[in-house]
Amino acid sequence: MNKVTPPRNLAGWCGRLLIVDLTHQKSWVESLSADLLHDSIGGRGLGVRLLRDTYQLDPFSAAMPLIFAGGPLCGTIAPASARLSVVSRSPLTGTIHASSCGGAMALQLKAAGYDALKITGVSAAPVLLSIAGDQVQIESATHLWGLPVSNTLAALKPVGGAAIIGPAGEHQVLYANIMTAEGSAAGRGGLGAVMGAKRLKGIQIAGKKPVVVADAEGVERSVNDIMRLLNAAPVIFGELGFAEYGTPALIDLLAQRRMVPTNNFRETFFAETSRYAAPALRRRYQPVSQGCHDCPIACKKATRDQQRLPEHGSLSHFGALLGISDLDIIVAACRLCNDLGLDTLSAAATIAAFSEASGEGIRAEDLPHRLGQIAMRQEDGDLLAQGARRLTTALGCPHLAMTVKGLELPAYDPRGAYGMALAYATSNRGACHLPAYPVAHEILRKPVASDRFDFAGKAWMNIVAENTHVVGDSLVACRFVFLAAGLEEYAALLTAVTGVDFTATQLLAGGERIWLSERYYNQMNGFTSADDMLPERFFQEPGSSGHGISIPAIDRQRFLDERARYYRLRGLDDRGQVPSHFLENRL
Amino acid sequence: MIRQVEKYRHQLERDGAVRQGRVALVAQDDLIREAGATDLCRIGRALLSEVKSIALVIGEPWLPFQNLYPLCLAPESQRIAPLDTETRTFLHDIPLVRRHHGRIDWADVAGLLGQRKGVLVEGVGIIAVGSVTVEQGYVNFSTLYHALFVGYLLHLLQDEPRCAEIVELGPLLEQLAHPIPQLLDDIAAGPFADEHAVRKAIEQAGQRTVELHLVDSFFGNISCHVNNQLMISQTGASLDALAGCVDLVPDDNSTTAGLTASSELPAHRAIYAATGATVILHGHPKFTVLMSLLCDEQGCHIADCWKDCPQVRYLGTVPVVAGEVGAGGIAKNLAPVMADGIGVVYGHGVFAAGTVDFRQPLHKMIALENWCRREYQRLLGQKIAGHEKSGVKSGSR
Ligand code: SF4
Ligand SMILES: [Zn+2]
Repeated sequence: MNKVTPPRNLAGWCGRLLIVDLTHQKSWVESLSADLLHDSIGGRGLGVRLLRDTYQLDPFSAAMPLIFAGGPLCGTIAPASARLSVVSRSPLTGTIHASSCGGAMALQLKAAGYDALKITGVSAAPVLLSIAGDQVQIESATHLWGLPVSNTLAALKPVGGAAIIGPAGEHQVLYANIMTAEGSAAGRGGLGAVMGAKRLKGIQIAGKKPVVVADAEGVERSVNDIMRLLNAAPVIFGELGFAEYGTPALIDLLAQRRMVPTNNFRETFFAETSRYAAPALRRRYQPVSQGCHDCPIACKKATRDQQRLPEHGSLSHFGALLGISDLDIIVAACRLCNDLGLDTLSAAATIAAFSEASGEGIRAEDLPHRLGQIAMRQEDGDLLAQGARRLTTALGCPHLAMTVKGLELPAYDPRGAYGMALAYATSNRGACHLPAYPVAHEILRKPVASDRFDFAGKAWMNIVAENTHVVGDSLVACRFVFLAAGLEEYAALLTAVTGVDFTATQLLAGGERIWLSERYYNQMNGFTSADDMLPERFFQEPGSSGHGISIPAIDRQRFLDERARYYRLRGLDDRGQVPSHFLENRL
Repeated sequence: MIRQVEKYRHQLERDGAVRQGRVALVAQDDLIREAGATDLCRIGRALLSEVKSIALVIGEPWLPFQNLYPLCLAPESQRIAPLDTETRTFLHDIPLVRRHHGRIDWADVAGLLGQRKGVLVEGVGIIAVGSVTVEQGYVNFSTLYHALFVGYLLHLLQDEPRCAEIVELGPLLEQLAHPIPQLLDDIAAGPFADEHAVRKAIEQAGQRTVELHLVDSFFGNISCHVNNQLMISQTGASLDALAGCVDLVPDDNSTTAGLTASSELPAHRAIYAATGATVILHGHPKFTVLMSLLCDEQGCHIADCWKDCPQVRYLGTVPVVAGEVGAGGIAKNLAPVMADGIGVVYGHGVFAAGTVDFRQPLHKMIALENWCRREYQRLLGQKIAGHEKSGVKSGSR
């Protein structure tokens, strides 16, 4: 391995990128300039930047990189800021896909001396990548190939951080996840399949380098400011908040708001949500809290024997979306998905679409078999492994796919929150609540409440939120801290950590640039405004009104008007295209 | 959006935060919308084109802090640290932009607005931004105003104000001469027949709290405990518009649908558990907040009084304790001292409880605020008298 000297005076970053070429079984280090790191920040921003020359390649082609990137705050006392971003092109959607996950990977990557790890090529046989500081080894993983996640981890006993795929990734299920040793998933767009296509079963990484910050006192002050805001936010540290109940706290709330996707989005209310809601989980499992590395919120819940319990979205989609209310069955299905390396949301949504398309009911007791078939691509499973859009197209009923850009909708019905409706449509990675996270203002009333049944103002709110969360995903900080703190606090923290002056405005502008890069890459891959569209069902069929709440179908014209406003405010042309002058100063 | 702009301009004047006619709101999404004083609109427009926010509020507070703070702070000082705890949580500190050679560096103002929720500009006023909604601009303006008010009035008692400051205090002395009226006769009498009646009573009491200026902007919270559940206002809800913004939180947490309940849910719960009250009202009356910050303890070594003070101090007969918002200790410290149904949180606000309806807590809160006003008036009077005496002796500064 050749030696690379990182740029001097770099606090927060390492200035080094580790590249591993699986085809030629070799690795080397390249330096990352201070300018590039300041502009791209890290995580998602850095990952997107590193895709600049390859974004048009087929996701399964050897030359398509799979990038793991941490952020400048990782390893410091910054709360909820040691997450990892995994970036590549999604085989499910064809979009650029960045996914954030917990676990120790980001911390160990930094301790090993790298801002990011870029994997290219395809190995001839299954391999395991082991990184210990400067030592990089590519070892045979033939003995692990075919094993579920839990067995792989048991055989591997990784020290430091680890990310692996299950059978779903090996069989290139289009919505296969990458799982960390701690049970977090880099989810949604099928990056596990990209890893599987490279015949890379797993990565383990450990390092010992200390983390340096520029202004330790400033860091402490900023962290105190952020902690005060987190303490004051009911959704975080409140008695019914995420720290106490985890994201399943949302289940009762969304049921009360009548926006629970039910029976493949044919309804928006499921009478039995309380059977798998947070209080039921608490009664059944007396959960303990777990967190992403060093996170004070620790919103993950686990059984007393440390088995992770599902999050809100997984419970809701294996519950209401499939019409199942038995808690044990739902939890078992979610666990099985994690063990097979399947994305829970896409798996449940694809099964829901299959059920509606085929007219076959869903039998809860068949779920394990069905999920196994998907992960192994056996029988019907081969079709279901391709996600709801390809499945319904093959069955001649594409209108039954509840997807945007090919990504299955998560567990917030857009008829119950119009900012969410717009956000699903314009997200760069397809139907996902995370990029703009309108849950914040439309449901949780943060930073200010907005009328969920009104499109007015939503274009701007989504743009600001999208840009903010790009920054968050680049830092890489958790979505949830932005329910309480803002870029004002994180700019001060980043400044203290790195010794480089950052302001909220600068960070937002950087977020916008990264967001436009993603949009531009998608555009060059053939995406148009026709892809910024919700499934027809939401404009045609009302949801389940009741309890004084009316859930009509979405007014298509109002939706289109706000989307047009969104394009204008984003600086896109009226067909939603990124203007050519963006090319001149893109990332 | 123009409706929002008009609404909040009107609200700022109604709140009594700004001089009549001396406020402007500017907002932009695809179009610029504005309301208020023309000269201020012009400044606002220019600034907003530089700042990535949707709305900007610019106004002259009725006490001219834009002139007073530059006088009372050290000449090199460019930050005002709020003393009240809630503002500290959300603002950290307030930048002060001074004139240099008679001019304001507007690029500097724009730069600061890109980093902070608002600033105080010498000779101009308070400028605040709303990054995603007009309402946010209004709330940020009000929060700055509250912090500046509390900080300045405390300075008047604790430091040696200059003559140039004292001559500006006419409006303050005028306000102090008028106590808040106990307008309670029409407040719904309890006990309440059903959930609907509780909701109506909550809405009415919230509205009255705002009308009587017992909060700035519209923050505060309110609850009623009936049938083993709390009905409590939602986080970020306007006390004067609570219809549809009240959450149900059962005592046994059998549902988490109340996830959006006020951040003070733990404090409300602890007070109910400790006192047998059935209604609670929480507001931030300004004089109560600032008087709670006055402490004559000598030789105390505690630095973060607002969270670490272990004492129970008193405003008249009403106890004052320390504690941070939400998960930060208010619940633990306050509940034990609420025997008389009223308690103050250091630098933050009042919790007032009742056993029948909202007349009781409203009455207690108004009485306390009036007591604090009188007390402030007395102390300020002494200060001014002392000043005049020394002014006569040594010639005015
Ligand atoms: S809040 Fe939850 S998801 Fe976010 S970093 Fe903490 S533990 Fe992880
Ligand atoms: Zn308060």
